[in-house]
Amino acid sequence: MTTFQQQLKSRFAALGLIVILVLASLLLRLWSMQVLSGEKYAAAAKNNRIREISLDAPRGRILDRNGKELVTNRATLAVSIDPANDEVRELIISGQSADKADDPTRADLERVFGGVAGLLGMTPQEVFEKVADSRVEALRPRVVAIDVPLDVVSQLSERQQEFPGVRIDEVAVREYPNGRLGAHVIGYTGEISEKQMAASDPTAAYELGDIVGKAGVEAQYENVLQGDKGRRLIEVNASGKPQRVIEEQSPVPGRDIRLTIDIEVQKVAEQALADALAEAHRQNFRKAKAGSAVVIDVKTGEVLAMASAPTYDPAVFLGGISQEEWARLTDKASEYPLNNRVVMAAYPPASTFKVITGLAGLQYDVTNSGKTYRCAGKWVGMGTQWPKMCWKHSGHGSISFDGGVEESCDVVFYEIGYEFYKRKAEELQSFSRTFGLGSDTGIDLPGEVSGRIPDAAWKKAFNENYPEYQTWLPGDTVNMSIGQGDTLTTPLQMATVYAGIANGGTVMTPHVLKDVLGSDGKVARSYEPSVLVNTGVSAPNLAIMKNALVRVTTQGTGAGAFQGFGVTVAGKTGTAEVYGKDDYAWFCAFAPAQTPKYAVAVVVEQGGHGGSVTAPAARNILAKLLGQKIVTVHTTDISR
Amino acid sequence: MRRVEKSLGKQVRDSVNVPLLLITIALMVYGSIVVNSATAGMVGGPGLFKRHLVGIAVGLIPLAVAWAIDYKKLKHWTGPLLTFLAFLLISPRIPGLGTTAKGATSWLAIGDVRLFQPSEPAKLVFIVVMAALIAEYEGRIDKPRDAVRLLGYLGIAIVLILLQPDLGTGLVFVAIAFTMLLVGGMKGRYFAVLALVAIVGVAGILGADSTLDRMAGKDVALKDYQKDRLLVFVDSTRDPAGAGYNLAQSKIAIGSGGVSGTGLTSGTQSNLHFLPERHTDFIFAVLGEELGFTGALLLLGLYLALLVVSLAIAASSRDLYGALIVAGVMGMWLFQILENIGMTVGMMPITGIPLPFMSFGSSSMVTNLGGVGLLLSVWSRRYGT
Repeated sequence: MTTFQQQLKSRFAALGLIVILVLASLLLRLWSMQVLSGEKYAAAAKNNRIREISLDAPRGRILDRNGKELVTNRATLAVSIDPANDEVRELIISGQSADKADDPTRADLERVFGGVAGLLGMTPQEVFEKVADSRVEALRPRVVAIDVPLDVVSQLSERQQEFPGVRIDEVAVREYPNGRLGAHVIGYTGEISEKQMAASDPTAAYELGDIVGKAGVEAQYENVLQGDKGRRLIEVNASGKPQRVIEEQSPVPGRDIRLTIDIEVQKVAEQALADALAEAHRQNFRKAKAGSAVVIDVKTGEVLAMASAPTYDPAVFLGGISQEEWARLTDKASEYPLNNRVVMAAYPPASTFKVITGLAGLQYDVTNSGKTYRCAGKWVGMGTQWPKMCWKHSGHGSISFDGGVEESCDVVFYEIGYEFYKRKAEELQSFSRTFGLGSDTGIDLPGEVSGRIPDAAWKKAFNENYPEYQTWLPGDTVNMSIGQGDTLTTPLQMATVYAGIANGGTVMTPHVLKDVLGSDGKVARSYEPSVLVNTGVSAPNLAIMKNALVRVTTQGTGAGAFQGFGVTVAGKTGTAEVYGKDDYAWFCAFAPAQTPKYAVAVVVEQGGHGGSVTAPAARNILAKLLGQKIVTVHTTDISR
Repeated sequence: MRRVEKSLGKQVRDSVNVPLLLITIALMVYGSIVVNSATAGMVGGPGLFKRHLVGIAVGLIPLAVAWAIDYKKLKHWTGPLLTFLAFLLISPRIPGLGTTAKGATSWLAIGDVRLFQPSEPAKLVFIVVMAALIAEYEGRIDKPRDAVRLLGYLGIAIVLILLQPDLGTGLVFVAIAFTMLLVGGMKGRYFAVLALVAIVGVAGILGADSTLDRMAGKDVALKDYQKDRLLVFVDSTRDPAGAGYNLAQSKIAIGSGGVSGTGLTSGTQSNLHFLPERHTDFIFAVLGEELGFTGALLLLGLYLALLVVSLAIAASSRDLYGALIVAGVMGMWLFQILENIGMTVGMMPITGIPLPFMSFGSSSMVTNLGGVGLLLSVWSRRYGT
């Protein structure tokens, strides 16, 4: 071998070494990527090509206690636009670009959406906004309009190629077979808000664009009604175009629920409330626009009817409520029709509160059934410089405790209240609370307010910045004793108080859910009635109060309203003074008096007198439940 | 007669390098299988696969010609070959001959029909010419002016390629020259200078090009996409949806192949078009995805065998000239393997260099088979006078 060839040999060795190094480094790299990190890349590849589309589950129906439909679903034709369509996708992508210059031009929008927009009576821009809504999942077809007339649908499907991405889908929307009936109990649905989404259970897997309950039972039992979404895994290519369905999981429909509401009673309650408003106007209370009525089963707390006026049509929320309509529904001038006043409004309970003051007086031996009071129309128990008037300025003269309830004599209750003040133990307040006043009743409806039972501590805190108003005065307790002053209760709270008296002193938690049905239509789960509070009021005291309340409807302030009623009713009228407004009319009752079944509370804001405005409404609601005739009663009541 | 026949048979047997032919056939079969899989789901896929097979068939011609020619005779053709080389590299720029695709004018065409990329066969011409030039120094290149002269030829070739502009092919020429100069005995420090010049050159070109673009107010000389490709290599998160997208998708394809791959024609990265240029530049990503690490190992094993056999042929050569030719071909293959596989796994910048014997494309197939022919020419004349 020559020197030259030896030299070459070392160069070949170097070349061989380079070959080994190059191939080894590639091999190492491939080992690391394919063997060590293979799973990570496989996940990335999967992520590349798999898209998930969720399939909405049909919402559960809402039935009344007898299985009649309050809310159901109906299929409607919806015009949707598929974002996967090439032309549509192009516009969406250019619209998403950070560069404003990339935004689709008017001409682009007209070209792609002009046709469909014209048929739907929308502008191409409006259609594009719905399609480009980034809050909706990327591949879900965007609903542009629902309840599209058939002739439009046929035009859209016949000339499909002229409308890029347009598809006609059958979608399920809520249907209200009884119109507005029970709107406040039922509530309404709408697209989930970001706030709701953040607050929701992560396992519910809500996505923006989902339809959820926004109020009433729809919101309260959202998790039961909603059902489980299905999902469809689809494979897409590099440009996002769907290729095939890989897997599909059908949605699980939401459960049907049965409410304690009875459609027939609900109808009567709503009519009775409307009549009460009309009656208030007839009596020249022109500002009467709002009110509410509720009736519950005293033994179980079941709500049989719940009416609130003014009301609204839950159907206006379908397919997204218009700005205009929303503004109207939330405007002060319209008296907030969305509010369920039975649980969301707290008023001074006025004379209906006298049952509390009376029972407290009996329970604490501040008064007794035979005790006689003297009413001169004007009461100066706290000193002549602090006179208080009875509603009957001429005075009731000599009057017993029972008579005080029957005639709603304020002086009797001023005396009791003043006595409680002097005892300095806030017993009236604590007694009120044993009936559940001042706290939520815990009804299964959203938005309940707790009202207020005022006491010294509350007054001090409330007037934090006004030291001169912080002291609890005799007049505070005296005002409270007739349900005025700072006392506030919801109609539902007062209904539960009367139910408690009727039910031997045990207040049941009011509720609207009766049971949840399984997919087979049979009862899967029932609401178990529960005791809200046990007041511990003695049976003799309850009997005294019951007898006095019966006298109200037979010979007292409520007698006119219950004339000719075949069942004995224990009730109490109330006429609340509200600063700057006309009087609020109240009536609370339970019946039959001897074997109580139902308790009812009716309020008409600025409706005037309880005996003549709300008592007739309560009469008709009870009439429906107790098989009595429904009548129109015009009577008079000048009491408070 | 009998004796003559026997000696003729022996002559033929001596001239055939069985391992080289077997490896070449194995690579082409392997490549055809992967190209078939890559094109299966494409519009006009079967047509493309047929063209791939035609490319192989056409490639047998240069293989046979190169084999038949006594490589030693080529030594005397340096002048004409240099002229031919220059013509090949300039030809795409000649109006009526060239055509522009993807920003580079590197194809010859008649009308709309693209014929081939002249820079591909130019690699072989460059090898033959450089071998003759380097061989003159008889294995010792230690004078600066000698080094400068040789690098000058390389420089001219590269300038002509960059005019197309085709950065990747330019790099192949550098790699070929590097390997040949290594075997040709260039001193170590000149390699250092070469490397330095290359680095400064690339940086300089990028800088100068940006300046030129600004001065001209438009994208001149090096195309922006070429610069992007280089810069993405430095920082792959630079633009994941743009130039970095190809790299990211290629890595996902290869990595997701795992040990055994998804199976032929079942690669989702490939079939759902996430992979760009899947049958040409990114054929290895298809292989990596569908055949996994096992398939990649097999390919690298075949390449190792090819290069080892080539090295043996180089060593068998009776003269430096033959060894240099083999070294050049080896350098061409080795660099293309490194660059092509390297870019698909993010080790090298993205350029349009085909993977030898695997990528779809007749020009490169013809060139690679021509390279095999050169090797056989050297091998069959190892006992020559």
